[in-house]
Amino acid sequence: MFGPRLEGNGGVALRPPTLDDQKTVVRWMFEPEPSRFWGDRTGDLRGEELAERYKKNAHDPNSVNWVIAYENETVGFTGLFDIDWVARDCESGIFIGRSDLYGRGIASEAVRLRTDFAWREMRLHRVHNWISLRNRGSRRANEKAGYRQMGLMKRYGFRSGQWYDDWLGEVFPPETPAGIFVPPSKGG
Amino acid sequence: MFGGTVRGKLTTLRLPVDADLELHKRWSADMRVRRAGPIGRWHEPAATATWKERWTEEAKEKSSVLWSIAAGDETIGYVRIRFEGAPHAETIGLNQFVIDPDHERKGYGWDAALALHRWIFDFMNMRMAATDRIAADDLGRQRIFEKLGYVRFGHGHAVYYRDGAYVDQYLYQMERETWLERWPNEREYALLGDELTR
Repeated sequence: MFGPRLEGNGGVALRPPTLDDQKTVVRWMFEPEPSRFWGDRTGDLRGEELAERYKKNAHDPNSVNWVIAYENETVGFTGLFDIDWVARDCESGIFIGRSDLYGRGIASEAVRLRTDFAWREMRLHRVHNWISLRNRGSRRANEKAGYRQMGLMKRYGFRSGQWYDDWLGEVFPPETPAGIFVPPSKGG
Repeated sequence: MFGGTVRGKLTTLRLPVDADLELHKRWSADMRVRRAGPIGRWHEPAATATWKERWTEEAKEKSSVLWSIAAGDETIGYVRIRFEGAPHAETIGLNQFVIDPDHERKGYGWDAALALHRWIFDFMNMRMAATDRIAADDLGRQRIFEKLGYVRFGHGHAVYYRDGAYVDQYLYQMERETWLERWPNEREYALLGDELTR
């Protein structure tokens, strides 16, 4: 499924993807900078394949997908995937395709919005993810939202002649006495 | 895909056959099997017709392999792996590994696991095998993995929910070098001598 529009700070928002977003974002995965730590720069870019994938994401009851907008422009995507509704656990991911915008806190704000949504709107119990240890920007963005290391997989991937380890993180909802969240508008 | 014959000493990984469907139907509905978490359950309980559809899908799926585990004439479990990062996979993810509870404590789990890893490293020449599906209180599977040479690389907290409470998760990996060091003689066939130069 797609997630609703979530307004963040600093010109960052999460919004439901359009088919045009899907086409733009997938092309970024074939560029060196955004795929520095992720993916293999190969895939099927035909229009019908992208439309099919878009439809599949929209219908998937076990994922929530957003594009990340910065000053109203699409710059990447994020989501909650493989949701286990019994354990209320899922995996998260983020991809910023506009490498010229790295370092502006866009990922940090997107992760904050996504994580907040997981607790406040989905009543999830836990979110986890896998990030290349060397991808400091992504790791930092997730740590700022509360993710903590729960593992380190040695020699997970190979890039530019060397092995990369993968950092495994997990985050839990902030505890409140009655388990009820107070919205910011009410002082929470 | 379905996997072909891999011989162990007590067990054989073999091609699944229609007669195994009823066992999958039973195992998927057996709480003793399901309580292991995702490594102990491939699907939710379902009718035979649904199981047939699932097998048809599995037969077509290029990134995973399903075997039945046999001991003598009996089917006593199943194992399912994924090629992680297919089509360029060099890592095997162990997704399901089930021994029928009525056949536990006979050494079948260990024997089937050893045969499977011979296929992974000796036959397929994979770089790594890993699993992120072991419950922290699942001592049986932990013993098997640790004896094989797996190391624990992660500890997820409160991941699986059952019996009214959360259970932690352990993550394991083993590299090819470890396999070769620990199990240098674990081969299907003895090494052949060099071919004669013509």
